Amino acid sequence: MSNAFKELDPLLHSQLRLSVVSLLVGVKEAEFTFIKDKTGATSGNLSVQVSKLEEAGYIRVKKEFKNNYPCTTLMISQKGVRAFEEYVNNLKPYINVKK
Amino acid sequence: MENEKQLSESESMMVIQRMIATAKNELVDESFHFIFWGWLVFAASIGNYLLWKIGFEQPYLVWLLMPLGGIVSFIYGRRQHKQEPVKTYVDEILKYVLIAFGVSLGIVLVFQSKLGINTYPMVMTVYAVQLFVWGGALRFRPLIMGGIINWALCIAAFFVAFDIQLFLLAAAALIGFAIPGHLLKSRFQKSQTVVAA
Repeated sequence: MSNAFKELDPLLHSQLRLSVVSLLVGVKEAEFTFIKDKTGATSGNLSVQVSKLEEAGYIRVKKEFKNNYPCTTLMISQKGVRAFEEYVNNLKPYINVKK
Repeated sequence: MENEKQLSESESMMVIQRMIATAKNELVDESFHFIFWGWLVFAASIGNYLLWKIGFEQPYLVWLLMPLGGIVSFIYGRRQHKQEPVKTYVDEILKYVLIAFGVSLGIVLVFQSKLGINTYPMVMTVYAVQLFVWGGALRFRPLIMGGIINWALCIAAFFVAFDIQLFLLAAAALIGFAIPGHLLKSRFQKSQTVVAA
């Protein structure tokens, strides 16, 4: 395995977007409010970052009504899973050098 | 509005670890069905025995509580499922296990006239599969133990008379469902207290 330093995906190398993808990678789907609660982000900021991840095809966003209220559900896509795995693999050499 | 906080590599790793742990520890209170069915089957088994002892002609009528229980359980489960803010892969697997359990139990109950005295042992072995798999998936030892005890009671039930089988079924429901259900509820409540603290 190569130890060469590879560039980290700029889309994931941001605290909130990385938090969102890390949360979604372990679950089937999660509501927007759940992600907001766990990340501590504001609705506005989270919406912006979610849109960026959706545009990149890393996550899918489902909007529906639940008990007569709008409900947004997020789920990670296959492309998102691959990007996350690649990000973690590329991160390892940096961590090993700093140890 | 937009927050683009850049991370150091070690901060990235910490974010990933923390978020994955958060999602993994997101427990859902699954205890209702275990407590509800545990006590319902326990009451029906003892009720059947007592009605039979006092000479009631159709003591098995007490089992009509089961379809009613099924309706209550279905409505509660559907409502709870809709309210969950997150759905894990474990939830997805358990949904299929629950369907398999319902179908298997249904087959046993529909063909009880062919199974005769072996009906309750078969019910217990179906219970055991459900408990064992859910216990493993939720990493909850009392449910796993409940499954093992149900298998043991199933074997014992093949060798005893019908009235004793009713007591074994009551014990199976109590040890396999009701008690682990209460313990599961207690685990969930503790986890919520820790999160809130």
